[in-house]
Amino acid sequence: MDEPVRETAGAYVFHSRPRCALSQGQERRVFWTLAAGAFGIALGFSALGYWLVLPFAGLEVGLLAWAFDALRAREGNYETLTIEGDAVVLEWRKEDGCGRRELNRRWVRIESDCSAPGRHCRISVCSHGCGTEVGQYLNDEARLQLAATLRSRLQV
Amino acid sequence: MSDVAHAHGHDEHGHHAHPTGLMRWLTTTNHKDIGTLYLIFALVMLFAAGSMALLIRAELFKPGLQLLHPDFFNQLTTMHGLIMIFGVIMPAFSGFANWQVPLMLGAPDMAFPRMNNWAFWLLPVAGILLMGSFLLPGGAVAGGWTMYPPLYIQGGISYDLTILAVHIMGLSSIMGSINIITTILNMRAPGMTLMKMPLFCWTWLITAYLLIATMPVLAGAVTMLLTDRNFGTHFFNAAGGGDPVMFQHIFWFFAHPEVYILILPAFGIVSQVIPTFARKPLFGYASMVYATASIAILSFIVWAHHMFTVGMPAAAQLFFMFSTMLIAVPTGVKVFNWVATMWRGSMTFETPMLFAIAFVCLFTIGGFSGLVLAIAPVDIQLHDTYYVVAHFHYVLVSGALFSIFAGIYYWLPKWTGHMYDETLGKWHFWLSVIGMNIVFFPMHFLGLAGMPRRIPDYALQFTEFNQIATVGAFIFGFSQLIFLAVVLKTVKGGAKATSKVWEGAEGLEWTVPSPAPYHTFETAPVVK
Ligand code: HEM
Ligand SMILES: [Cu+2]
Repeated sequence: MDEPVRETAGAYVFHSRPRCALSQGQERRVFWTLAAGAFGIALGFSALGYWLVLPFAGLEVGLLAWAFDALRAREGNYETLTIEGDAVVLEWRKEDGCGRRELNRRWVRIESDCSAPGRHCRISVCSHGCGTEVGQYLNDEARLQLAATLRSRLQV
Repeated sequence: MSDVAHAHGHDEHGHHAHPTGLMRWLTTTNHKDIGTLYLIFALVMLFAAGSMALLIRAELFKPGLQLLHPDFFNQLTTMHGLIMIFGVIMPAFSGFANWQVPLMLGAPDMAFPRMNNWAFWLLPVAGILLMGSFLLPGGAVAGGWTMYPPLYIQGGISYDLTILAVHIMGLSSIMGSINIITTILNMRAPGMTLMKMPLFCWTWLITAYLLIATMPVLAGAVTMLLTDRNFGTHFFNAAGGGDPVMFQHIFWFFAHPEVYILILPAFGIVSQVIPTFARKPLFGYASMVYATASIAILSFIVWAHHMFTVGMPAAAQLFFMFSTMLIAVPTGVKVFNWVATMWRGSMTFETPMLFAIAFVCLFTIGGFSGLVLAIAPVDIQLHDTYYVVAHFHYVLVSGALFSIFAGIYYWLPKWTGHMYDETLGKWHFWLSVIGMNIVFFPMHFLGLAGMPRRIPDYALQFTEFNQIATVGAFIFGFSQLIFLAVVLKTVKGGAKATSKVWEGAEGLEWTVPSPAPYHTFETAPVVK
């Protein structure tokens, strides 16, 4: 989500990524220190015969592993929206793969859907009855700001 | 920049209605909502467990039994302790973490918002299990918050429910800790290096590490109690060859780090408040970080100072005695740094600062009585007396709880957009400090004179000090109604708070408008 908007020679480019301050190596080190601590202690008690600490350490480290895995999976994600001339180009990478969509600016509508309780507000770029979500790594306010910006950019 | 976002937010209100009512709170994944929920939960539990304390003190006003059945008295002391620790202090600190950590780091939200929601909503479930157990046949657990066998093996159905509640709260703490660790480490704004983080983030990061290390130990310990109770194992059941003292080792291996879990975030809050009102940067920031880390590491090798009377070898007693005294060194570094921060500062004494200064003075008294208890031969006299009760209430009431008050007064204007009523805040402060000392200072004398803790009746010679303590308890207890009034009043309205709120405040959290808009930092701020 750093530097969300860039303008290059007439084109409007919105680029956003999930926040990610740790390198993969650092992530791994954090995970293993936590896991080693929890397992070390649990193994110590198990050696004394009090082994029921161990399954809980296992569950905890499992949850940690899931969390760090989810962080890792997010790392390379991004989304880019470019408006240049009559073309609106969406490019993205998510946990489940990459994608690209080219739309005609005159047919594009921005929809925001805020009906689902407690969920994040979503905005999608729609054309021909088919929407693509943008602004996933922003918070609601920024997303609404983005929606407004896109709407004004798409007029003209 | 947030002003712009805010204005757009208003333009869009047609599409952008946040869900309201119960559903909003049940399903929210917003860190501010969840922080608020934690704080409300802690406040409700504070009054529940506080009422129990007043019942205890009422019974102890006079020797002999007057108000309560002795078994109910034991239920009250047990539940008071369990709820204050797991239902008040810990959730309140989680509330602060949820509100402040993303704001301080310039992050859009916590790393795992949905897990955050789960971590909170498990707590009321545990709370209901605990409070509901008063209604069960045999009443609530009465074996002490420390859960020692044999009582915890022999007790009735409420013991099983309490074990379940402890599991649920433990799971909640683990999910909360994972969220805090990943948020602090991974969601920092560009330029926000670890050594630039506000100290509150550091203390919570280290606290979360402690939680991750110790929660499986607690879960294992109570599960072994459960299997001893219901499935015929004999981990701690002496009748079957088990070792009840080993439970104490395992329990305190968890619970001594736990007492630091209860105080490190307090150190963090005080380290934010004091520089603001002394108008000077925190003295010795790096040494504060290292002191916090050393306290956390040392906290794993001192546990048996709670067990000097169980008959350990002299060498072990010596080891635990000296390791415990060693903790006083990093703790002393912190106290020194707070005082040095105030030294020659241009100080003003608004309510948050008053609570922070009281924290420094009174927590130190608790630290010193801890040192007294750390001396093994002395502890053999004082163990299980009111001296211990005095010690841990100085560190937990004038320590942890006062830091929570300081933090609430400090950040409430930021959260609500309204200034609190300074006059009422000062009343709350003075009555709390005076009341707190009247309750707990005489307990040192009672302990030195030999009055045992957790007993509903006592010998005549202890009467005067107990009466003083009870009077103090009612002053302290009822002055918390002022706190409730201040909070409600501030939430409802009041003078508008500026975005910086305090003249001397520093940090990202103060750069967003007050109240912090529902979402903040749509573009990552750059830390210089
Ligand atoms: C300088 C630091 C400290 C030292 C040297 C210290 C030392 C001790 C010792 C030796 C005991 C055992 C007394 C006995 O049962 O005979 C004790 C009890 C206790 N301490 Fe501390 N302590 C310190 C700080 C703290 C802090 C910061 C907290 C919590 C925030 C805390 C909470 C407790 C509690 C809750 C107990 C009583 C547990 C129980 O038996 O129910 N202490 N302390
Ligand atoms: Cu201890």
